Amino acid sequence: MKIQLPENINSDYTGYLHLMQLHENLSNSHSHDVELNFSHVKWIEANLMAVIGAILSIHKKSKKITIEGLKPNHTDLFSRNQFLSTEFNHERRVDSNQTIIPYKKFSPLADQDFIRYIKEELLNKPDFPKHTQKLGDKIAESIFELYENARTHGRCEHIYTCGQYYPNKTPKILDITIVDMGKTIKTNVNEYLKQGLSGVEAIEWALKNGNTTKVDNIPGGLGLNIMFEFIQLNQGKVQIVSADGFWEYKKPQTETRICDHSFPGTIVNIEFNLDDPAYYSLKQERDIPLDDIF
Amino acid sequence: MKSEQLVVSEMIGVDMAVSTDDGEKIFQAIDQLLKNNSTVELDFSKITIMTTAFLNAAIGQLYSAYEGEQLNRLLVFKNLSPENKVRVRQVVERAKEYFANKKGFEESANRAIYGE
Repeated sequence: MKIQLPENINSDYTGYLHLMQLHENLSNSHSHDVELNFSHVKWIEANLMAVIGAILSIHKKSKKITIEGLKPNHTDLFSRNQFLSTEFNHERRVDSNQTIIPYKKFSPLADQDFIRYIKEELLNKPDFPKHTQKLGDKIAESIFELYENARTHGRCEHIYTCGQYYPNKTPKILDITIVDMGKTIKTNVNEYLKQGLSGVEAIEWALKNGNTTKVDNIPGGLGLNIMFEFIQLNQGKVQIVSADGFWEYKKPQTETRICDHSFPGTIVNIEFNLDDPAYYSLKQERDIPLDDIF
Repeated sequence: MKSEQLVVSEMIGVDMAVSTDDGEKIFQAIDQLLKNNSTVELDFSKITIMTTAFLNAAIGQLYSAYEGEQLNRLLVFKNLSPENKVRVRQVVERAKEYFANKKGFEESANRAIYGE
């Protein structure tokens, strides 16, 4: 069986629908051998390989999937970002442009590997587009909060990440996508609240400060909100796709959609504005007496 | 009462206090020392980035076993940047709410199940 991918796959509502359809086509296929054909693809955003890799991981358990029809520029890009070497044992190429954050999949137990990955691939990269130290720290903080959220709530086998810098865009931006194929936000929130919220309503609930589905002795309910507050200040963008929910914030507005298809996990795509010169100081930064902090 | 020092960066082996697992390590160490009647000085020197995920496990979790008044007497923070002080404050406020709600939830569940 051959599955043809469409011409354009962007990090937007339509792009995520295409990827949900890819998952559904694979689910509905009775063939053991499936060819994923890229010959019609003119443009695909590299960070989305985290989503494609996550989808393939589910279906590779029962199918033999091959990749065909890649144009030379896509072969080059997916070799440099290690997608082809990780998922299809192709040869790995060196990223001389230093514009990628490689495709990786992490076991939820490998927290130190993820810390090393962010340090090496993001914070310590010499050619990472110029930004202030403070901005780099805030970006890393948001990514770690998201990663911990995926580890804790998704209860998944792996977490998939991939990123791309766009140093020639104005402003310069960094897109990073984190995917887990564990329980969706919709399932987690509805099981916790014992309600029947839509995917969008469940995402909105999870983003509110203090809301958490955790019931153990480790409190939660701050991480997503901290990421979201920073993206608002940074004038970046955040998209969350989980089950049938699509939620996007890009200043000054939030857009939500209930999708006709469904994603069997959670995708978070964040776009950071690297030209942001702001010095981030948090509210109440001064005057917190440490002898009475509890 | 003995006073013990825990240096976070030495205990977790990195300068980024970001994972729940590393937070759990710190919680276990603090809990053990407090149970042994020591006071604890928690030193954050060399820590650059800190997340609420780490702090929820390391500090927020303390409210499952201790009261705020006890923690003010027995646990002291050192070398906490102004920014990270804000994070600690957020996590402490959240932990108080979380355990107050959890207690309320468990009491109402007990009433419903056992009629207590």
